[in-house]
Amino acid sequence: MLSLRPEEDRKLRDLLTRLNEESKSKIVLLIDKSGQLISRSESPAFSSDDVTFASLTAGNIAASEALSKLLGDKSLSHMFTETEEEGIYMILIAGKYILVSIFDKRLSNLGIVRVKIKKYYREIEEILKAVEERVEEESSIPTEIDVEDIDLDTLFE
Amino acid sequence: MPFINFATKEINCKIVYYGPGLSGKTTNIKWIYDHIKPENRGEMITLATETERTLFFDFVPIEVSNVRGFKVRFHLYTTPGQIIYQASRKLILKGVDGIVFVADSQEERHDANLDTLDDMIENLKDYEIDIEEIPLVFQYNKRDLPNILPVEKLRADLNRWDRPDFEAIATKGVGVLETFKEITKQVLKKLKK
Ligand SMILES: Nc1nc2c(ncn2[C@@H]2O[C@H](COP(=O)(O)OP(=O)(O)OP(=O)(O)O)[C@@H](O)[C@H]2O)c(=O)[nH]1
Ligand SMILES: [Mg+2]
Repeated sequence: MLSLRPEEDRKLRDLLTRLNEESKSKIVLLIDKSGQLISRSESPAFSSDDVTFASLTAGNIAASEALSKLLGDKSLSHMFTETEEEGIYMILIAGKYILVSIFDKRLSNLGIVRVKIKKYYREIEEILKAVEERVEEESSIPTEIDVEDIDLDTLFE
Repeated sequence: MPFINFATKEINCKIVYYGPGLSGKTTNIKWIYDHIKPENRGEMITLATETERTLFFDFVPIEVSNVRGFKVRFHLYTTPGQIIYQASRKLILKGVDGIVFVADSQEERHDANLDTLDDMIENLKDYEIDIEEIPLVFQYNKRDLPNILPVEKLRADLNRWDRPDFEAIATKGVGVLETFKEITKQVLKKLKK
């Protein structure tokens, strides 16, 4: 299990928001390889569904990694995809997380994005490592979550 | 692997529908998507071939709020059942918190059920997930068709771990919700441990 405490969430969010501003991206997302969205920059301009975006990004990375393995076990470290107007740059962190920048090609470019990511990469990696170490020490989820309260019947019409 | 964010008060869990080709995995999550209140669901993604066979995965995010302000998100995925997509199937299982095995009840598809179950066991092993430990539900689908095996036979051959199982006619929604509720219940229970 992975969890984020409020102070960890804030640290990550601050870093991603700064990275987003400096790299002139539309949004910066931090995703885990199974497709969970872990954090994102504060970017009100980004209107797409970030949860869905996270799941597709993880699928994309997983497929590309499998491809590179097939070509001789070279490990994948980053990927770039572009549409007519946007660039999507993805880089792996600690082999487990994916940092994604989506940028408007008229406002930024791959070079700037990569330089700015380089600047923050270590810091993000260190926070994630500290989070993992804390999670490792905790045994179960705290009592503040009562799963008995969850009523699935209200979901359906 | 569940992900909990204490700042935004969100819990995220991944549920995968696994099973042989054409057993009705996509039909299950499509039915759930169609019957859930719009405010509780995100966008459905299907990565399918032109003939509507799943090529990589389907995805539906579902959101439940509970009284203490925690939000639980279930991410439902289906795997591609066709044999040729073995590699993709494995990728989808990464980080899974609960599995629904959708079997095809038709006699002529039983070998495919067994092969797919073997393939799932292998993949879980590779991820070091213990099948004895992971939340798991069986669904015997297509109970409306003529040439089907008795549930006892399906249960004996597939449900070797004595997990909850359900008969279903996914196209009519029969058994779909029951299956979904059972797997979410198990996943949430496991969180507590
Ligand atoms: N008669 C009957 N048909 C069903 C039932 N459930 C699904 N089907 C049909 O079976 C076909 C395959 O269903 P899908 O849900 O696409 O199967 P799938 O498991 O996602 O298949 P793949 O994506 O190839 O792995 C479709 O034509 C469905 O309408 C059922 O309970 N009864
Ligand atoms: Mg399908």
